[in-house]
Amino acid sequence: MPKRKLDPLPSAAFQILLSLVDEDLHGYAIMRQVEEQTGGQTRLGPGTLYGSIQSLLEENLVEEIDLREDAKLGHERRRYYRLTSAGRKLARSEALRLAGLLRVARAKKILRGDYV
Amino acid sequence: MSEKIYAALLQIYPARFRDAYGDDALQLFRDRSRHEQGLVARLRLWLDLLGDLVVSAPLEYRRAQPAFIGSTAGSAGAPNFLVLETDPPRLGAQFCAGLLSLAAFIAILVAIGNGWNYRFQSAWFAHLPPRDNARFLQPKAALLPASFAFAQAPVSQPQPRDATNAIVDAFKTHDIVMFGEWHANKQEYEWLCNLVSAPEFDDRVDDIVVEFGNSLYQKSVDRYIAGEDVPIEQVRKAWRNVIGAVGPPSPVYEQFYKAVRDANMKRRGKHQLRILLGDPYGDWEKIKDAEDLGPYLTHRDEWYAQVVKDEVLAKHRRALLIMGSGHFIRRNGPGLVEHTIRAAGANPYLVVFGTNAVGGFDDLDKRFDAWPAPVIVSLAGNWVGELPAMPVINGGITPATPLKLADAADALFYAGPRDSLTELRMPRSELDGTAYGNELNRRLMIFPGHAINFLYDQTEVPQFARPQPRPQSGLQPNQQSGPAARPAMPPPPKSMNDPLPPRPPSQ
Repeated sequence: MPKRKLDPLPSAAFQILLSLVDEDLHGYAIMRQVEEQTGGQTRLGPGTLYGSIQSLLEENLVEEIDLREDAKLGHERRRYYRLTSAGRKLARSEALRLAGLLRVARAKKILRGDYV
Repeated sequence: MSEKIYAALLQIYPARFRDAYGDDALQLFRDRSRHEQGLVARLRLWLDLLGDLVVSAPLEYRRAQPAFIGSTAGSAGAPNFLVLETDPPRLGAQFCAGLLSLAAFIAILVAIGNGWNYRFQSAWFAHLPPRDNARFLQPKAALLPASFAFAQAPVSQPQPRDATNAIVDAFKTHDIVMFGEWHANKQEYEWLCNLVSAPEFDDRVDDIVVEFGNSLYQKSVDRYIAGEDVPIEQVRKAWRNVIGAVGPPSPVYEQFYKAVRDANMKRRGKHQLRILLGDPYGDWEKIKDAEDLGPYLTHRDEWYAQVVKDEVLAKHRRALLIMGSGHFIRRNGPGLVEHTIRAAGANPYLVVFGTNAVGGFDDLDKRFDAWPAPVIVSLAGNWVGELPAMPVINGGITPATPLKLADAADALFYAGPRDSLTELRMPRSELDGTAYGNELNRRLMIFPGHAINFLYDQTEVPQFARPQPRPQSGLQPNQQSGPAARPAMPPPPKSMNDPLPPRPPSQ
């Protein structure tokens, strides 16, 4: 299988890595977490979500841990995913890269207001 | 319906993606559908899904190119197949292939849409009986090469078969046979009791999944069915405390459990049957109001399907599924149970209960008179399949609808002429002034919120009574007299949208 290009890291994959920083989540919970952390701007569809998860699994950036129920969502068993140390490292380096870009943007004074 | 549409759209993704994530994608769709109610939210959901499809499907096809894993060292004298790393196909080639696939897909859909009366004319299938030919016309037909020619199939005569032999044969080609029952019917359950006593059935089938058994009592039922000494008062809770039916259960259900137990006891040392309880695990001893009951009522089909997935499919067992025919019949596609187990890899065969009523209550079809009973008849390519499903399935107590029997199920179970069929009721002596009768009254006050008379002097009555005239307009329900007068249903409990509570330990 051709290697999935995760360099640069696609936005969806980065969002998924961020969503898994605090806890293990299943697909729907990841989607909701991404929606929340982007202020409702990004709702990952099933194709994008699971396509990205597959890429992250192939690169050992996340791992599938088990099948279990989510008490809040009923008795369907769901696949849970966990961030690996490599995934955490990549998320951190991507965040630093974006922070660097943000510093440049600030220096160029293209941002309105000071909340960013 | 929405889920079926999305399931169909998932077919656009490569098989590899569907195999790996198809169920998860459907589950995510269900979760979103459950939480995003209302027109605007639904519209947004579909826009998200379609946008996602357009973006992600081509990426998955690009990824799904065959894996090239490098060559293995050849050994002397042995063929050495070099496996080369290669570039994925050009975008132009993918675009052309996509267009051609789409055109072929649409052509096949159109052909199938026109073609319940058509049959593939192919030497490959010529040896198969009509029932099996019909199977190939179902969704899998879209996967067959488009070069097969279609031709108008002659409408054949139905072939009623001994019901037990037909079920045993169905298990030769299907691991799951679904039986859509008519509740409380004596003749149907006499046959079911005979079926579970048939050695050919017992040798082949592992489980019987029933609607009329509360999952809370699986442990007791397992012991009872295995022939252990279990107090009948404990086992009875399984069918007397069903969530999905508030009134007294018909004696046919207790008879059925006993028949399975007896069959197992006669076959000690041989393959044993298990009854799996498919009703949600609500505990009536803890249900105090409609809000406590709500989540169980809403998730009955989901829970039933989950039991099949966990206890049958995951363990690669064969099962007869029994549930009210309303849960199983296909209306514009499979119902929730069938859809769920198909998504989990099952290929079920669906048989539904029916009679000779083909129109209004008095419209009985004489062609059934020549049939013995009980029989099962395949519905593909004959006049039975062309009948409207509703009067046949419900004895003509409601008007006919456009749904045809052949679209609603694979086969019909016929237990005899409509007016020969009877319902068994629990004797008055077990209910009048007894603790169980009082408990049923309490349950009725919880749901539907008013008393219903369940005390009858006759324990066997016609299964399908002539429908009562509709109440005259202008009268309030409490102004009417006679059996049609019933208080209005209360509003549904708010908890109906809540998920099922955690499952307690089995009793």
